[in-house]
Amino acid sequence: MDVSEKDELRNGDTTVNYDDSSANNPHPDWRVSGSNPVSAPIDSYPTENLISSSQMMETLWYDPTNVQAVGYGGFNGGGNASSSSNSFRGNIDRSLEMGWNLPNLLPPKGNGMFLPNASSFLPPSMAQFPADSGFIERAARFSLFSGGSFSDMMNQQQQPLGNPESIGLFLQGQCPSNEVNVGVAHNDTSAAMKETNKQNVPGSGNVSEDTQSSGGNGQKGGETSSKGFDSKKRKRNRQNSEADQSQRPQQSEEGDNNGGGDKKRIDEQSPNSQGNKTNSGKQQGKQASDPKDGYIHAQARGQATNSHSLAERVRREKISERMKFLQDLVRLQQVMLDEIINYVQSLQRQVEFLSMKLATVNPQMDFNLEGLLAKDALQLRAGTSSATPFPPNMPMVYPPLPHGFMQQTLSCMGRTEANGWEGDLQNVIQINYGAGDVPPDSPAATDASLPSSNMKVEP
Amino acid sequence: MASANKPINTDVPEKDVFALHFLQSLSNLRRQNTFNSPEKTNDRVKKIKKVAYVSMARAAGGTNRLWSRALLRRAAKENNKVVRFPRRKKRVTCLRRRRSNRRDPVEEEEAERLRNLVPGGGGMEISKLMEETAHYIKCLSMQVKVMQCLVDGLAPK
Repeated sequence: MDVSEKDELRNGDTTVNYDDSSANNPHPDWRVSGSNPVSAPIDSYPTENLISSSQMMETLWYDPTNVQAVGYGGFNGGGNASSSSNSFRGNIDRSLEMGWNLPNLLPPKGNGMFLPNASSFLPPSMAQFPADSGFIERAARFSLFSGGSFSDMMNQQQQPLGNPESIGLFLQGQCPSNEVNVGVAHNDTSAAMKETNKQNVPGSGNVSEDTQSSGGNGQKGGETSSKGFDSKKRKRNRQNSEADQSQRPQQSEEGDNNGGGDKKRIDEQSPNSQGNKTNSGKQQGKQASDPKDGYIHAQARGQATNSHSLAERVRREKISERMKFLQDLVRLQQVMLDEIINYVQSLQRQVEFLSMKLATVNPQMDFNLEGLLAKDALQLRAGTSSATPFPPNMPMVYPPLPHGFMQQTLSCMGRTEANGWEGDLQNVIQINYGAGDVPPDSPAATDASLPSSNMKVEP
Repeated sequence: MASANKPINTDVPEKDVFALHFLQSLSNLRRQNTFNSPEKTNDRVKKIKKVAYVSMARAAGGTNRLWSRALLRRAAKENNKVVRFPRRKKRVTCLRRRRSNRRDPVEEEEAERLRNLVPGGGGMEISKLMEETAHYIKCLSMQVKVMQCLVDGLAPK
């Protein structure tokens, strides 16, 4: 019966199937409809990689009461939304309630009825509910379900999962966080659906769907309860990386179909999540690059290089911080290190050019500050280290020099000041002389003296 | 260092310090060489350039900065002098390779060029290199300003 129903669903005969199978099987056709009449509520969710079906499922979770109808309406392929939706609503409500109540009612084997067609979408998630009452408890434990517990959903069908993440749970499994896999997931799910139909193995199909949807892991989980955990896994993956999910299906394969496997998975998940959370940053980077291959490996890599990735991230942060600082310094607009390099090169060239100019301008290399500096230098070195900036008070110790000489030097410096320097050179002179109030001579008086003549200094 | 929250300290002394050091070095240079004939302008240029860098290094960071240290060491080597730097706790870590891989091929290409430019950049991590570069740029610009003013001041009218 299930198989036949699935076949019908596959064919797109939605209405009938929905009526019949709604109670038992989540509708694989949910995937079918490309249009999504539910898009409006869906848009409210920042879920990633939404496929139409996933969107529908999402809406389903989002607002079970309202969305269901819409979602199901969408299942019709965009047509007969209202009419069918109404009819579906009843069915869906029923199915949902059943699904949610299942854990309490159905034995674990009942999963098989749901799982096969749970083509990694809400139906699967719903199918998972019957998996275990324990599952529901665990699900309720997770913070992501903070919006509402499954029990709430079961009972009241409120908006238990206002949290987009919870919706993302299912999407995760079906639509792996990698954008790359969106299309793939879609195809995979459909393929998985067929597989599940063929296999008709409780839980196995679902697991396979999940794994395939997760990006072609190629894993075929064989556990009925895997779906339930897959949702958790998806949640984890959403938080961390898909690698977790890939691992979990792997693990789930080995485990039992029932609670035993569930427990094991949960235990494994918790350490994984802890380890993965630190690696999330790194693994997310990996995810994009390892859509299909990395699932299995990324996890191991992430855990193995936990500290390394952390240090790496810290290092990168440091580098970016310094880079920003450099940018502000160099007033660059881009993050190009090349521009910084060019700036440094230009500065060095400027120094060279100026030194050349200095050499030509002052062939004797006589500087009026020579003598004055000699004395200053002595005291400078004695008193301070070169690293310290000049305090303005330092000049007090400097011995006085002939006023005339001072004036000459000051005039020279004053000239430079007149040329545009902010008077720092003059300050230097003043500092050296310990008298900050020596006025520069009028440039006219020292014009003639500027060239080498006044440069001679008698120490 | 676990966290990079320490603000980057690239304070640079005032221009006075640069000017003082530069002039000091120039005067020293002048004392060393009597009037140079014009044919040796290039040599003079080189000397002045070297003096400029050395004075900048001394003025800017002394031995607190890696680049200044490398600069001074390089200059001393040219003069066949041995420069000794006081041992500090945060010794140049070029000998110590941290366990964190500092080589990232994408960044290393650009960092390589920077290393060639900034003195002493060969043994540094990229983050440290960038910090040194920032300080180096500041000091360089300051030195350029000083020299410019000096040239302007001494330019014959």
